[in-house]
Amino acid sequence: MSKYRFLVRTSARSSLAYWGDLLASSLFLLLILFIFLKLWRVTYASTGSQLLAGLTLPQLLWYLGAAESLSLSRPRITPEVDADVRTGALAVHLLRPLSYPLYRLATHLGERLLRLGLYLVLAVGLCWLFTQEWVISPRGFLLFALALPLALLLDFLAYFLIGLGAFWLEDTQGLTLLYSRLQLLLGGTLLPLPLFPDWMQQILSVLPFAGSVYGPARLFVAPDGHFLGQVWLRQGVAVGLLWAAVAAVFHLAVRRVEAQGG
Amino acid sequence: MSRYRGYLSLAGAYVRFNLKAQLAYRGGFVSQVAAMFLNNGCWLAFWILFFHRFPVLNGWRREDLVTLWALSASGFGLAHALLGNSWSLPQLIMQGQLDAWMLYPRPLLSHLLLGSSRATAWGDLLFGFVAFALLVHPGLAGWAAFGGSLLAATILFVAVSVFSGSFAFFIGSSAAVAEQYRFAMITFSTYPGALFGGVAKLLLFTLLPAALISDVSVEAVRSVSLKGVATALAGSLAFLALATAVFYRGLRRYESGNLTTLRE
Repeated sequence: MSKYRFLVRTSARSSLAYWGDLLASSLFLLLILFIFLKLWRVTYASTGSQLLAGLTLPQLLWYLGAAESLSLSRPRITPEVDADVRTGALAVHLLRPLSYPLYRLATHLGERLLRLGLYLVLAVGLCWLFTQEWVISPRGFLLFALALPLALLLDFLAYFLIGLGAFWLEDTQGLTLLYSRLQLLLGGTLLPLPLFPDWMQQILSVLPFAGSVYGPARLFVAPDGHFLGQVWLRQGVAVGLLWAAVAAVFHLAVRRVEAQGG
Repeated sequence: MSRYRGYLSLAGAYVRFNLKAQLAYRGGFVSQVAAMFLNNGCWLAFWILFFHRFPVLNGWRREDLVTLWALSASGFGLAHALLGNSWSLPQLIMQGQLDAWMLYPRPLLSHLLLGSSRATAWGDLLFGFVAFALLVHPGLAGWAAFGGSLLAATILFVAVSVFSGSFAFFIGSSAAVAEQYRFAMITFSTYPGALFGGVAKLLLFTLLPAALISDVSVEAVRSVSLKGVATALAGSLAFLALATAVFYRGLRRYESGNLTTLRE
């Protein structure tokens, strides 16, 4: 396992080299949280309600801060897997004493954890500035941290699986965009799930999207042990299914690898 | 007048040529158009869900939001489908690629902008029209107001791209700055103008003129107002004049890349 830990550290360090990109995304976080503040302030005022989706206005903004941090921190996995397949670099990876999926998971986690930490700190600062209220508690942070490992794994497995599609598909960009947009819409990044129509909430509860954003972000602002159990259950089922799918597809895909020349 | 006719005929030739070049890779072109259509569709779905739950937002209804998205998407799409080089301006300046365009006996900026077309922009353009037709159900007057406002939005997006692209003359490696400015413009022009007031509103009418779309144009289409369309057009043309002035001012600082290349 030490070699994967080394990969996590190396990946985090190398992503620090691209501080310009990190700064640019941070500006986007500032912009989008400012717009959300305006949008939801008007919405709460027009409904005359103190609670929407069970959250106060400051709680909702902090929720959106956590959800946006989770979304923005996601590195692009699919293009890298796609490139490894198309350029034949995957054949070289297979010669190394490393599992290719675990190698990709480790490099993904290194970059993601660094970015997530940075965006969360920034989001907390901005949310405090915008709402002048401290919404999170140590318990909320703990439950958020407990929901995080499976959320990150779920995200990775879904995009890795799409990347493996490069063995059969001419282009995986379309599929990646489709999944990312579904995740944005149905995962709770823009709208907490209880604000969806009832019939949609039933469907969303069995889809994997909410496990990677809505679950952890909700726990961040409204810690609830029972809800954590529900999130874990959903995440566990989704991870189990995706893990099995990745294992099966990777097994099939590796048989198609052809290495030529030297 | 004949100068404008000549330019329109040149633009027509470039559009045909650019489209033909993109259709050479038909599968890739279609998938990019479809991907952008889908991307915009997901955002609009968010707003439809939002207005399902909260039917009125500071006087805005679902139809106003669809109009906003239709104008922004099709305006951005038309601007970059026809004048695609406006998006690539920072790279063209930084890599010294203006040299080839300077050799033509035509005004530099208006000719240079025609040089390429963005495939995804066609998806934006298509999306705007489909969304407006299917979700707003406008009458003839509504379509006329939409057409005028679309022209204003297109001019504004070209102006924003030229203005931010021209940063490269002054601050060298400016692609990231230009990108952030453009994304901010796109973001603010897809949220209701009614959300903002005070300093934010002032900035949205000046430094980042998204309110010309999210306030003026949407209101013009909603109330089918000729005056509103004229105001949006005047504001967009003023920003285009500013962007053109900044471009030619920056051009004085341009240094040739000594790049010998064959134009694609």
